[in-house]
Amino acid sequence: MIRAPLSTTSVLDEAADVVSLTAAPWAGLLMATSLPYRFLQALFLDQLIEVGADAARYGNLLGATANMTVLTIVLAFWGRAVYARACRIAASRGTTPGRETWRVPAAALASYILTASAATLLGYVALFTIAGFVVAVLVAGLAVGTLELNERVSLTRPFALIVRYSNRLGTLFALLFVLFCGAVVALVNLATAFQIGTWLAGAVAGFDAPKWQLLFTPGNRRFALMLAAGALVLVEPFWIAAHVVYVRKAGAEESGDDLRAWFEELRGAA
Amino acid sequence: MLTAAQRCSVHDQRPAFARCMSCTKTLCQECATQWDGIWHCAQCLAAKRGPKRERSPVFAWIGVVTASLFLLYAGARVMVWTGAVIAGLF
Repeated sequence: MIRAPLSTTSVLDEAADVVSLTAAPWAGLLMATSLPYRFLQALFLDQLIEVGADAARYGNLLGATANMTVLTIVLAFWGRAVYARACRIAASRGTTPGRETWRVPAAALASYILTASAATLLGYVALFTIAGFVVAVLVAGLAVGTLELNERVSLTRPFALIVRYSNRLGTLFALLFVLFCGAVVALVNLATAFQIGTWLAGAVAGFDAPKWQLLFTPGNRRFALMLAAGALVLVEPFWIAAHVVYVRKAGAEESGDDLRAWFEELRGAA
Repeated sequence: MLTAAQRCSVHDQRPAFARCMSCTKTLCQECATQWDGIWHCAQCLAAKRGPKRERSPVFAWIGVVTASLFLLYAGARVMVWTGAVIAGLF
């Protein structure tokens, strides 16, 4: 059901509803499949910081971690594809999706792996230029939003769909900004949750609270990296839901379905 | 050039209206179809269009899987390279 015209606020509003409908078990599945990838990303960054300027000499070590990261990204892509399908079903029916969510069409999944791999490569290539990295994140978001529109396997059509739905750049950038702010808030909340958790655990006899409090401080690089990874995992369901809703709304606007739904609502209200 | 005496090759009772550019048959208004600015009879038009050739999805699958594997491999290499360059800056 398309409830309101396409805008940043309407997309976020409906995405929040979609996330609440898909929270159990689909958001859990998404997080479970994303965790290995995010953990290995954090491990890669940790190793990179550890070796510092001598990184060029530790190619084997970094390469092995990078290979494992890329292997786990395929699992993360599958989790995202299932969750995007759950979001699409929830958005169209207004109910919690059932077992049909597992049946992601093979063509859609293959197309998504292709476009998401391209977006990941673009992200790493453009890491130096912040603008390029932002574009890569936008492409990755549109890739997950348009994945179910790929009915046949093609090398070019998935990219053509991304280009077709990137005409509302203002809305896409606004969504990205809001989700970035959400990730920062999630990071602060996670850090606070760890502090409160260790403080409460201090009441348990035999628990070495000072030792854990020392580890759970932002000064600990590994803890900070894990917090960042955790914040991204927490925001991911909203990121996917927002892009699925955006693509649905943009498609409805093109076909006139939004106007039809609006007229029906007006007629119902009259 | 069609003359008034010429008749449609399908309907004898009707005057010729056009000539098929492929088989040169004379055609009445009902039998002639213009496609891309050229008159055709029904048979020649059908032969020209032919059965719609569907490309085998196997090639598309091979292409997509190969491209994805290449992109993932390149992603891992670029990840190390970019990381090493950025780490070298600090």
